[in-house]
Amino acid sequence: MKKFKAFAVITILALAFCLPASAAELRLAQVADVSSLDTQKVSDVYSANVIRQIYSNLVQVDENMEIVPDLAEGWDNPDDVTWVFHLRKGVKFHNGEPFTAADVKYTFERLLDPKTASPGATHLKEVESMEAVDDHTLKIVTKRPFAPMLMSLTRYETAILNQKAVEAAGADYGSKAAVGTGPFKFESWSRGDKVVLVRNDEYFGGPAGVEKLVYRGIPEDATRLVELESGGIDLIPGNFPYQEFANIEKDDRYETYRVPAMSTLYMGLNTEVKPFGDVRVRKAMNYAVDKQAIIDAVYFGLGAPARGPLSPVIWGFDPERKPSYPYDPNKARELLKEAGFADGFDMTIYSDNRTERRSAAELIQAYLAEVGIRAQIELMEWSALLSTSAKGIGGAFMLGWTGTGDADGGLTPVYHSANIGSSNRFRYKSETIDALIEKGMATLDLDARRKVYAEAQEACNEECPLVFMISQELVGASSKKVQGFKLYPNMISPVHKVTLSN
Amino acid sequence: MLRYFIKRLMFLVPVLLGVSVLIFSIVHLAPGDPAEVMLGPSATQEEISNLREQLGLTKPLYVQYGIFLTNTLKGDLGRSIKSNAPVVEEILDRFPATLTLAVLGMIFAIVVGLPLGILAALRQNTWVDALCSFFALVGFSIPNFWVGLMLMLLLSIYIPILPSSGFDSWRNFIMPTIVLGIQTMAVIARMTRSSMLEVIRQDYVRTARAKGISDRLVLVRHILGNVMIPVVTIAGLYFGNMLGGVVITETIFSIPGLGRLIVDAIRAQDYPVVQGGVLFFALCVGIVNLMVDLLYAALDPRIKAQYRAAR
Repeated sequence: MKKFKAFAVITILALAFCLPASAAELRLAQVADVSSLDTQKVSDVYSANVIRQIYSNLVQVDENMEIVPDLAEGWDNPDDVTWVFHLRKGVKFHNGEPFTAADVKYTFERLLDPKTASPGATHLKEVESMEAVDDHTLKIVTKRPFAPMLMSLTRYETAILNQKAVEAAGADYGSKAAVGTGPFKFESWSRGDKVVLVRNDEYFGGPAGVEKLVYRGIPEDATRLVELESGGIDLIPGNFPYQEFANIEKDDRYETYRVPAMSTLYMGLNTEVKPFGDVRVRKAMNYAVDKQAIIDAVYFGLGAPARGPLSPVIWGFDPERKPSYPYDPNKARELLKEAGFADGFDMTIYSDNRTERRSAAELIQAYLAEVGIRAQIELMEWSALLSTSAKGIGGAFMLGWTGTGDADGGLTPVYHSANIGSSNRFRYKSETIDALIEKGMATLDLDARRKVYAEAQEACNEECPLVFMISQELVGASSKKVQGFKLYPNMISPVHKVTLSN
Repeated sequence: MLRYFIKRLMFLVPVLLGVSVLIFSIVHLAPGDPAEVMLGPSATQEEISNLREQLGLTKPLYVQYGIFLTNTLKGDLGRSIKSNAPVVEEILDRFPATLTLAVLGMIFAIVVGLPLGILAALRQNTWVDALCSFFALVGFSIPNFWVGLMLMLLLSIYIPILPSSGFDSWRNFIMPTIVLGIQTMAVIARMTRSSMLEVIRQDYVRTARAKGISDRLVLVRHILGNVMIPVVTIAGLYFGNMLGGVVITETIFSIPGLGRLIVDAIRAQDYPVVQGGVLFFALCVGIVNLMVDLLYAALDPRIKAQYRAAR
């Protein structure tokens, strides 16, 4: 009897522990757990999402990807290479330390220090010098006029750290401690499982709508769905499985979110491989593929044919642009004939193993066959695809591009000839494109800059060292009790305005 | 006995050394490298070579192996490239979940499999036998990720009594335990049945019966002990298997175990974690095998006698 009583007590206690969480707790599921909360040590969007809730940046993007003030209330450019940021006063870090210009300087110096070996150092590589003019003024001088500066400062890699907190934690910074000025404070991280954050009541943007955030990493699509359905989680912010989205959109137990993604999918062509050096061949291939059919078949209709090299949500995208090359197999055949390939040619498409990429490659293969091009598909490990294509791959390759949110980040790495051998995987050099990209980078006036990028996009579209494919869509879903969530195109969505209703 | 134990323990050293060479070469000879994965498609050549330098990947392979081996002997498996945390810490963080799962899975396999096998053997060629055999066959044949998803559908959605994933309470372990244990359960049931059938026909069992001992006592005293020997062998072998196969279960149910750690590390080309994790797994399997051998001695006086004779 005694034993039974003990058992009963334990059972009841255990049951009590697993009762549904209180209403003030928002539980989110991502595909993976964070890898670290040290902003300068990570390069994955799952960590970035949690970092977004803990830290603040000098400036941020809103849901339309427009720059808005964050820790910097304002900024001005005394000349083309100087940026003066006026910082918010009275802001405190989670550890109680006041926020000053010295913290910003420390953060950026740490990011640029080769010892940090940060994957994000590239965002500040144009910085020549920094100076904390006073506690609330920071001056940054760049090596040359660098218009993408503000977008770089919205990146999670440039989120502002506190020197004392970083140094106190040493090598444990990011796993046992993470201190920012954001709406949520780091509470705990059980590795591979979840991160727990609690509300920072002193947040300068006003206290968040929920008391607690739990970010879980659930790699299996099916499990993530079951968890949402059974109430184990409240919100899947992006990365919702495409094939299930149509069903859940119809289901009125859920709220769904759709937004154009920053990323575009394309099939790159190594222009050093014959016959991809011939622009007529490249255009023919662009005309030969029915992008909408691939979107419908592979991406369940979630996406749109690409309108040039940039996604419509990237700053600098030219809204006048039409879908790049409409499906027109006859025109493709004509162009091939003109180029001397009336009987087509043999080529290879390289792709990694992901089902969607592979299926897209298979459909492209079928469309190319229609116009006489005989493509075979070769699958590679993701990292092998990255390194081989950087060095020059033996044909075409399936790849996506996300960039930084600014036209510069969408064009320079991929199209500028200085990046042949690394991120310019087309190994394509065009003086027109190079010049336009450089001009865009150096033009600080926003209207003039937009115009330069409109030209650059048209040039990339005309010279097409790739087959333009798809502007993807991001999808997310939540239970009905989640209110006020906005899915951001960069897949990093702040949740401090989210509330829970009963 | 102690000498035998120490001798067997020494055998683990060359095994682990072999595993370390193997895993080190596989990891380093596979295409791609961690610097590229970490920096992503936008990285410049310069950034990649800087990071490679930082990670010590530019040294010749045998030098890298030497460093790896000396550090490992000192108990230092390096730091994860992805999270920057010490690998030892990551492994010890994750191992309890995996071990708990494997032990629970094994308990489930034995507690269900053994009676099923015994029952089938005692009622040989009746419908009970057929049912038990069918159950075992099904348990062995269906892929466990499917079992996992079906259980989840049934017990988390249709009859919502269990959480579908996570790692917060004992209730999280019920479904994963079944999924992980079901195959071993089936093997144990089959093994017990055939082993029982053999033992039942032995002379000493007939003698015991002839002496008028009750059926139950014959079963407990004379049959079970002998049946256990092959069952323990199978259980031991499958325990190693379970540790390896735990990846699928951990992934379906989002349990932060060692299997998932290693799979994630393989994807990210996180060399130190892959090497450390695999080495640790090898050590575990080695120890389990050793323990099984020792268990034999406890179960079978004939083997114990051999050790004595050897002395």
